[in-house]
Amino acid sequence: MSLARYLIQRIFQSIVVLFAIIVINFIIISLAPGDPIQFVAGDIAISSPEFAAYLRAKWGLDKPLYERLLLYIYNILRGDLGYSYRYSEPVINLILERLPITLLLTVTANVLAFVIGVLIGIYSARNIGKKVDTTLHVINFLLWSTPSFWLGIVLMIIFSVDLRILPATGLMNVRNPPQGMWLYLDILYHSILPVATLTLITLPLYFKITRDSMLQQASEDYVMTYRAIGFSENVIYRRYIFRNSIIPPVTMFGIHMGFAVAGAALIENVFGWPGVGRLLLDSIRTRDYPVILGVYVVIASSIIIANLIIDIIYALLDPRIRITGRR
Amino acid sequence: MRTVNIFAQTIKSIIRDKYGLAGLVIITIIIAIGALAPYLPLPDFNSTEFHRLEPPSPRHLLGTDYLGRDLLSRVIWGARISILVGFVAAGISAIIGIILGTLAGYYGGLIDNIISRIIEIFFMIPTFFIALTLAAIYGSNIYMLMLIIGLTTWPVTARVMRGQVLITREFLYIEATRAIGASDFRIITKYVIPASIQPAIANTILQVGNAIMIEAGLSYLGLGDPNYPSWGRLIYEGQPYVDTAWWLSVIPGLFLLVTVLGINFLGDAVNRIFNPKMSQRTSL
Repeated sequence: MSLARYLIQRIFQSIVVLFAIIVINFIIISLAPGDPIQFVAGDIAISSPEFAAYLRAKWGLDKPLYERLLLYIYNILRGDLGYSYRYSEPVINLILERLPITLLLTVTANVLAFVIGVLIGIYSARNIGKKVDTTLHVINFLLWSTPSFWLGIVLMIIFSVDLRILPATGLMNVRNPPQGMWLYLDILYHSILPVATLTLITLPLYFKITRDSMLQQASEDYVMTYRAIGFSENVIYRRYIFRNSIIPPVTMFGIHMGFAVAGAALIENVFGWPGVGRLLLDSIRTRDYPVILGVYVVIASSIIIANLIIDIIYALLDPRIRITGRR
Repeated sequence: MRTVNIFAQTIKSIIRDKYGLAGLVIITIIIAIGALAPYLPLPDFNSTEFHRLEPPSPRHLLGTDYLGRDLLSRVIWGARISILVGFVAAGISAIIGIILGTLAGYYGGLIDNIISRIIEIFFMIPTFFIALTLAAIYGSNIYMLMLIIGLTTWPVTARVMRGQVLITREFLYIEATRAIGASDFRIITKYVIPASIQPAIANTILQVGNAIMIEAGLSYLGLGDPNYPSWGRLIYEGQPYVDTAWWLSVIPGLFLLVTVLGINFLGDAVNRIFNPKMSQRTSL
């Protein structure tokens, strides 16, 4: 199979998956008991049936399910994710407004976690069986078992309530917003705690996968051959083991980047971080269906695109995939 | 007899493993605490007869919450809820995952294609949000939560099971049973599943911890069952008082951490025992 054909096949598969996700979400949400009109309009909807009927017609809720689904898909193809019931604003605008704020948190934390996790993982694997490896391993287990929102609260108690050196919540100093460059520094200052929390929670993933992968490579036959030839341990590790074992963590990094748009809703909730995750949480609470669906579409697309990029990079790097079409 | 032997041997191997033993001890203690909750001399976990926000004292070892409820009692009853949700949800998830994974791996072809696509779809959506949406829309009593968590976490188990069945179905003795004319049902239930289930079991143990975390996350967002004091709910209720009564959130979280840590220790150890060579990735 040629590379082009392989890629076209992957892209086609991705589109099918994306549509499946849209349809499933649409059906789950549309079959929900309760009337969104009631949630949005409240008592007015009860006292004024005309107003309720007006809203229902305006949002297309009077049409049958399949018709709404087809209309929704048609609109997505035109780049229109619908209007929010609550904000009366295009869903896409609501998401785009919050996307940079979320990405600042998730991308920074993911990159930090990747770098630190891989470095510690390598260090741990090179010192396998020693005290430092055991200690790192146990710390890793602890972080892996820590609920993200709880860690956020604990860090907040230590650094904001007790030591009073870091702001507890928010994106910036709202009462007295600084100007120009100071504004960015202020946002950076406010992002320290949420980024630290998310980094610590994501770290174990990279640590474990790097350490496992290093240990696995170190037990391969080729390593023994190099040792027999007389290469120094440093050269073997740096030139061969490391190169071969970096692939799994990089894959993990790519997959995680796809999820970056989904944000870290729980952590955003702890620190009052006005990102996409928070938008989704609020929309779920207030049954703002178009926003819920819209956020899912954006999240699923970003994950699918990230996966596609990983696949393409692999296909370019590894001729076996090109030929058999399998990883 | 054979199954009993394998079980006894596994337990022996777990006890010999440092992490496995630590996990087993932690889980046993937490389950014991949860099981003994009704017999301990504790005030009712929903009783509001005490002073509000009292700091820890001999009378209330962990203090009282914003409604004057005894935190120790709530944390101990919380163990019951969290453990129960964890095990039932992971059980539901395991049953679905093992059945679908086996079918996909054994039959291949169209069935495999359909099931694998469904699994793939699940890996492309943040399932926590789906659980969240379902909990928000369809109500959040404790049984509903177990079902929702079970229904959104099975693909990991299914994928592990499918991979293993793909290997075991090629074994000679399974081909031999097919040759003597055993039915598919008999081959699957008597030979394929028992021979392939070990990685799925290790994965299910880890899923218990995962389910407890998901329940805590949902409860922390206020979507848990308000009638029961799960640890996530206690953290949620304590958060507004972090500057005056930090223990309200921190202590239930510690219990949560230690429990999930124990489960992860155990799951990881079982994983290593079942696959001494393969370093499997079952987390995420």
